[in-house]
Amino acid sequence: MSQPRSTGFLLTSPWILTFLLFWAFPVVYSLYMGFTDYRLLVEGYRWVGWENYRQLLSDPDFISSLKNTFIFVLGTIPVTTVIALALALLVNRQFKGRSLFRSAFFLPSITSMVVIALIFTSLYQRGGYVALLAEMVGQDPPVHGFLYDSGTALYSIMAMDVWMAVGYYMLIFLAGLKAIPDELYEAAEISGASSTRQFFSITLPLLRPVALFILVINCIKSFQVFVEVFVMTGGTFDTSTAVFFIFQEGLTGAFQIGYASAAAYVLFVLIAAFSALQFVLMRRRTGAW
Amino acid sequence: MVGRKTVALGAGRYLTLFPILLVMVFPLLWMFRVAFLETGAGIDWQAIVSSSWTLNNFRDLFANANIGRALFNSVLVGGMVTVGNILFCFMVAYALARYRSLANRLMFMSVVLVLMIPVHIVIIPLYLICLKAGIYDSYWALILPWLVNPIGIFLVKQYIESIPPSMEEAARMDGAGEFRILFRIVMPLCKPALAVLAIQVFFTNWNSFLFPYILTSSDSLRTLPVALALYQGHQAIDWQHLMAGSAVAVLPVLVIFLFMQRQIVSGITAGAMKQ
Repeated sequence: MSQPRSTGFLLTSPWILTFLLFWAFPVVYSLYMGFTDYRLLVEGYRWVGWENYRQLLSDPDFISSLKNTFIFVLGTIPVTTVIALALALLVNRQFKGRSLFRSAFFLPSITSMVVIALIFTSLYQRGGYVALLAEMVGQDPPVHGFLYDSGTALYSIMAMDVWMAVGYYMLIFLAGLKAIPDELYEAAEISGASSTRQFFSITLPLLRPVALFILVINCIKSFQVFVEVFVMTGGTFDTSTAVFFIFQEGLTGAFQIGYASAAAYVLFVLIAAFSALQFVLMRRRTGAW
Repeated sequence: MVGRKTVALGAGRYLTLFPILLVMVFPLLWMFRVAFLETGAGIDWQAIVSSSWTLNNFRDLFANANIGRALFNSVLVGGMVTVGNILFCFMVAYALARYRSLANRLMFMSVVLVLMIPVHIVIIPLYLICLKAGIYDSYWALILPWLVNPIGIFLVKQYIESIPPSMEEAARMDGAGEFRILFRIVMPLCKPALAVLAIQVFFTNWNSFLFPYILTSSDSLRTLPVALALYQGHQAIDWQHLMAGSAVAVLPVLVIFLFMQRQIVSGITAGAMKQ
């Protein structure tokens, strides 16, 4: 094939521009900003070295936002993954009404996060439906509502996120289940393996790549939780997360661009480390199963 | 024996699934019901069951809260970004799939690289770039950065690679120009992939909150999710109107979902299965 080089360049130019202007430059720019004391409303800035990073590590707001982010990640991901797998297994085989169930489970995940957060804000309020539900099972709901109590606010947001995400990951598990050849189950049936045995010896091992994919993308997404916190609590009642902290420091108040950029890089490194860890753990387990 | 076991299994399945179904659909059904409740009727169980249905909340929203403008903005921005992605992702994907060169291999690496970058890292620099480029608080800030996306390029590239290049070669022999081949021959063949891409891009854009929120400040530039999130802020919580506005934001997604479910599902699973 001999196309003039200019055609290839012309065709790819939208991506070259977008990549350079809106990805490569910002990523480098904010790394640089993280080493300065740049504030939006103050003229000029100077290089401060690791000062921002040192300050972050002793900033109680940053530490608690990281703590909340970890609670969010470690609390939601296992629950979401297990429920998603269970739902996928429930609606995998053909039965009457299957597509209705699938669609209903999946629908929340394509709805706007703002809308979902608003709906749940009302469900969680004092005297709301979740409070009624709690009373029905004999639990005392928080006096001012679930989002106005440091003990329940973050967990309420987490529960909503699990509710919203399970249908999405269910679909990915379903695609993974479909890719497992039927012959494997038939062979297992003939050799008399029980369905429990089939699940642990065929289904689970063969779903491993899909599970890894789900864990990694959910991890990257969950580390960046922001919208629901913004809408439901505004970071109050001990619900501030890392991205909420970045937003608050960098784009409100004193607009501390340098400080917030450093915080963004700390989160970046954490996400990268966590993703790498998951890859290593999943690889290593290959032998054991 | 077998028959009875299957029946029991089937009943068990429905007994498990129905409570889950209730939990999954209740919040959205509740939203639609409250959207049609009389203002001041309260939102407790009695009002939900016994209060009459009304369209007043929607009327108020369009007359007073300027939800019409937000709807217009969402449609405009969503439409522009979707059209941009169809065109640009296709162009880039075609070049990456068909022109083998070192430059293109590097370019593909840049696509994969961006796929792995967590988006929070660009919040602050993008805000500054828009400010300095003079596009902050304009439609440009809502459109320009999002006209082509790495997942879209990836998706369409995979699709083009599955099409044999014989037709393009034949057309080239007949003396057709590159752009004619590109848009008249290859693009129509890519329709299924481009439909999947269009829906994904439109949904993402339609639901997006963070960037539209930080890159604009005028009321006249608010998209629906931004307008809804901020409506709550300056009003004592007025659930009827808030849920009516939410219903306006959900309805287009719901309609597209009903008609194009297959494309939506294949868009989601395609990404996962390619890993």
